[in-house]
Amino acid sequence: MTAQTQTTVPTDSNWIRLRNFILQHGFNIVLIFVLLFYSLSAPRFLTSANLISLLHAAAPMMIIAAGLALVVMTGKLDISVGSVAFLTSSIGTILMVRNGFDPLLTLVIVLVIGLLIGMLNGFLVVVLKISPLIATLGTMISLRGVGLELTRSTTISLPEDIRRLGNLTVGSVFVDSLIALAVLVIIHIVVTRTPFGRWLIAIGNGEETAARLGIRTRQVTYLSFILSSLLATLGGIVTVIQVGAASPSIGSGLEFTAVSVIVIGGISLFGGEGSILPGALRGVLILEIIRNGLNHLGADPYAYRFVNGAIIFIAMYADSLRARLPVTPRTSESSKPSKST
Amino acid sequence: MLAENISSKSSDSQSRSLKQWLRQAFTPTRLLDLLPIFILGIVLALLALYVPTFFNSRNIVNIFVQASTLGLMAIGMTAVMVGGGMDLSIPSVMALSAIFGAMRMEAGGSILESCLIMLVVGCVAGCINGYAVAYLKMIPFVVTLAMMTIASGTAIWITNSVSVPVVNEEFFSIILDRIFDIPRPILIMVVMVVIATIAFKRTMIGRWLYAAGTNAKTARVSGIPVDRVIFGTYVLSGFFAGLTAIILSARLGAASANLGNDGVVLDIVSSAVVGGVSIYGGVGSPLGAVLGAIFMTVISNSMNMMQVSFFTGLIIKGIVIITFVAIDSLKKR
Amino acid sequence: MATPYLEMRGIVKRFPGVQAVKGVDLQAYAGEALALIGANGAGKSTLMNILGGVLRPDEGEIQIAGKRVEIHSPLQATANGIAFVHQEMAMLPTMTIMENIHVSSFPTRGGLIDRQSMERSTQAVLDRVGCQFAPNTRVQYLSTGDRQMVEIARALLSKPSIIIFDEPTSSLTSREKARLFDVIRSLKADGVTIIYITHFLDEIFDICDRATVMRGGEHAGSGLLKDLTIPALVHWMIGDLDMTQHAKKEVSQSTEVVLKVRNLNRRGILQDINLTLHKGEVVGLWGLLGSGRTEVARAIVGLDPIDAGQIEVNVGGSLRLVKAREAHKWIGMVTEDRRNEGLLLPMSVKQNMSLANLRGLLTRWKLVDTRRETALAQQFVERLNIVISRLGQPVQTLSGGNQQKVVVGRWLELNPPIFFMDEPTRGLDVGAKADIRDIIFELAESGAAILLISSEIEDIMALAQRYVIMHRGQIIGELPGSATRSDLMAAAVGAVPTAETGVTA
Repeated sequence: MTAQTQTTVPTDSNWIRLRNFILQHGFNIVLIFVLLFYSLSAPRFLTSANLISLLHAAAPMMIIAAGLALVVMTGKLDISVGSVAFLTSSIGTILMVRNGFDPLLTLVIVLVIGLLIGMLNGFLVVVLKISPLIATLGTMISLRGVGLELTRSTTISLPEDIRRLGNLTVGSVFVDSLIALAVLVIIHIVVTRTPFGRWLIAIGNGEETAARLGIRTRQVTYLSFILSSLLATLGGIVTVIQVGAASPSIGSGLEFTAVSVIVIGGISLFGGEGSILPGALRGVLILEIIRNGLNHLGADPYAYRFVNGAIIFIAMYADSLRARLPVTPRTSESSKPSKST
Repeated sequence: MLAENISSKSSDSQSRSLKQWLRQAFTPTRLLDLLPIFILGIVLALLALYVPTFFNSRNIVNIFVQASTLGLMAIGMTAVMVGGGMDLSIPSVMALSAIFGAMRMEAGGSILESCLIMLVVGCVAGCINGYAVAYLKMIPFVVTLAMMTIASGTAIWITNSVSVPVVNEEFFSIILDRIFDIPRPILIMVVMVVIATIAFKRTMIGRWLYAAGTNAKTARVSGIPVDRVIFGTYVLSGFFAGLTAIILSARLGAASANLGNDGVVLDIVSSAVVGGVSIYGGVGSPLGAVLGAIFMTVISNSMNMMQVSFFTGLIIKGIVIITFVAIDSLKKR
Repeated sequence: MATPYLEMRGIVKRFPGVQAVKGVDLQAYAGEALALIGANGAGKSTLMNILGGVLRPDEGEIQIAGKRVEIHSPLQATANGIAFVHQEMAMLPTMTIMENIHVSSFPTRGGLIDRQSMERSTQAVLDRVGCQFAPNTRVQYLSTGDRQMVEIARALLSKPSIIIFDEPTSSLTSREKARLFDVIRSLKADGVTIIYITHFLDEIFDICDRATVMRGGEHAGSGLLKDLTIPALVHWMIGDLDMTQHAKKEVSQSTEVVLKVRNLNRRGILQDINLTLHKGEVVGLWGLLGSGRTEVARAIVGLDPIDAGQIEVNVGGSLRLVKAREAHKWIGMVTEDRRNEGLLLPMSVKQNMSLANLRGLLTRWKLVDTRRETALAQQFVERLNIVISRLGQPVQTLSGGNQQKVVVGRWLELNPPIFFMDEPTRGLDVGAKADIRDIIFELAESGAAILLISSEIEDIMALAQRYVIMHRGQIIGELPGSATRSDLMAAAVGAVPTAETGVTA
């Protein structure tokens, strides 16, 4: 049977090829340049001690971004993650400090609360069909209010033995960095290798199409909100242990950083596109490296937020360009096995 | 013959007109529309019982002055939301333009010059947002999120997070003086509500905006320049951010990056949503948004007076937003 | 060959108000392709949805391989070896071919997706449809034709013995079509029963062995294709009505050109469209669904992008070159998708009607003159005989016919020299249809030029003074207003009488 087509292979001009290359790998290029620049201009930047502290500082965001990525892959948003991190970690701290709960029991309780919040978000979005943005905006405000009420807006120090966990290292690497990397690997496997993960991507491609193909879109979406909330909880716990105390500033503005990470990591806010590894990891690292490097350069720390905003804007612009890029259809002959994310 | 048809129908219906009117007045949608007023009634009743001082005229004027800045920003947000978008950058742009204006004034610039700077900064930020959303087809939420980060980043950067004092008695008196015992910010808000209402409901562009927000495809097919209209809404919200900056910098006697903290965005969105502006686009009015702003201010103010903590206030605000959006999506179905 | 592999007997399906299928029999044999043809609304989709388990029949039975089967769900259809290749593809572009094929039930091992087995089974079905791409190619890199192949491969995964193809070629190029036919031939060779739903009468002779024709929910005729001709099939499709000539209202035609389109091109969709409209004429743009007729209208007013082409509009007596988006100023556009593109559903009748004409309603202060807005709306409500309770009534509460009149009324208020009417009578009852026809006639009489697109042959025959025939994105010829029904039916499938225009399909 001959079913070959002889469509002419489109010959792109060099400029278009360059443009496509930049769009595809833009942030890798940026990352390389930033690394080069810093290592040349700030001699203490490229030391193993600095890299280890960089990974340490990035750990909470890695975990939270991994969770948020699951929701974003379906084309939705969860901006309550910062408040969830704050509320759950505050509750945990209070239970241990004021009520003398056992740390392990506290961990379980806190995770259950994270789960319940995820169910609430899922309920609002999936059952009540409230736009995810506004639904999680509402829970974001309310949960922060609950947290501030519980902590009376004060800083509560963790018990000494828990606080010590924050400096725990394996070899010279901090344990929380390892936990964060483990979370990224696990979520990466969930996204790439489990039916659930692929259904997330399928929903992001188009909810109706996914439903027509027999995917239970409501359940999958619900679960993505639960996971996002759970990982935000875990991220909150890691932050509190790092800081050594539950303070009202935890998780404030974090939802916006997390969305930036997602966008910079190449996870499309239109859904259906993006990866945890290297995507989300890259997003976290770029932001953290820039912050860290600016520190080493002795740059005005106040400039950081501005740089952060500029990066989001560029990342988003690239995202929208990619989304509008006419995909050159390849013919059967010319198609190479492409990497499946 | 046609005319006869119609008139005979209307005379027919006269006998049942009362019933019809009742049915029309109390459809489920109508009842949902009336809910904010109902809630406001309960809140006011509670206040009358527990905090009689709430109703003294000083406090009332105070509430309206507070609500005026929130209300102006809510009008800008209404334009964007009616067009089906979202502008998270209003407060931070407002803070940034206040800072620019205050710095100019500090450097000896005239009042007019400083005010113009504030308006221009707002409009420029709005142009960038609008261009990205309308022509580059980027997601409004993220565009304005980026603008919010950039504007507040710039604000923090150039001020080193220190507030810029505004000390110009003439400026204060121009902006804040009372006319007939009413502080000018309130009058500015009232004037703006009137102008915006006419612009939204009675001008061609206003009508185009509602059409574009209701169904952009239909609007395009009907020959409406949808992209230009949407672009305009963001410029307008930038303009209102600048206008708010003028009033707020005069009222506070200072401009700082903190003017536009994240909490203000939420207040604006809440005001709009409570005031009946749909997040799905096409529905809402400037007056509604301003009433929403007053509602939100009353709630925070009264909770202060009832000594409910600020944090419980946040919880209540969150619940208010979710409730009203849930109502909105109910109506949509 | 003696006993049919699939037999449907006495199938009846009623919907509220209509009986869509009225006791139809259908037989299909193993290793053969059966063409199922019929005009729009003939009931063929309903019949196939019954076979595919999407709908349940009210009466009748289905036998497969001589055994009676019950099909109550798509799942049961699959279990009975029936696969459905839908016209509208369900593709997930950012996912790989193998994921697209397996997405509803991934093979798993220990909770993880078993990629090896997925790849193996995908490779097997891809081989069967003769595709050379790797199973882990992303679907977004595939052309429409290749995607169609993936869609078919997905259907083959369940190893079906009956495959229903619904209009599979409507978006394919001729080369892709040839490839599809190769696949169908090889499936036939493997003993699969093919049911092939199509509008394109020319292609069934290439690929099908047998035809069943439906008309008005009934079985109109069946036979081996080697014994049949296109006219015979057309006759079954439309019946004997052919002989009665339509009484057509004649409008005095002018030779003044109001719109001239030259070499309009849109890659892969429209090819070298040349079109001229004269003052006061109704031109029927006639062709099948998917022939590009809607796309022509949309491209001219700038709703879809074009790659090349010139548009000239008569402004003040002379033709002027305009950009596509600009042309919209002189063209009233009634689109086929009334609810999503025609109306602002939650808004009032009055606001819907004034939408295109707001500029004309401005007062000296640049405000919309609401009194004139109301008066004008009232005037057209009466003129178009729109039944409403009040002008403030939301249009979503109106009936289809009244909604359509609101859309038309909107353009009457603007009163442009040109109208594009895409399926103006779709979904309307007889009375409303007649009203719309009268309006179009009156418009032409008052000097407007009208491009009429309609699937309803009755409408177009009652109104059009000439026909421009479209086929697969091209204009393949013209027919005069006196053309008969069978001329039109033949032209639609690509067989234009050569004597008229010298163009062949």
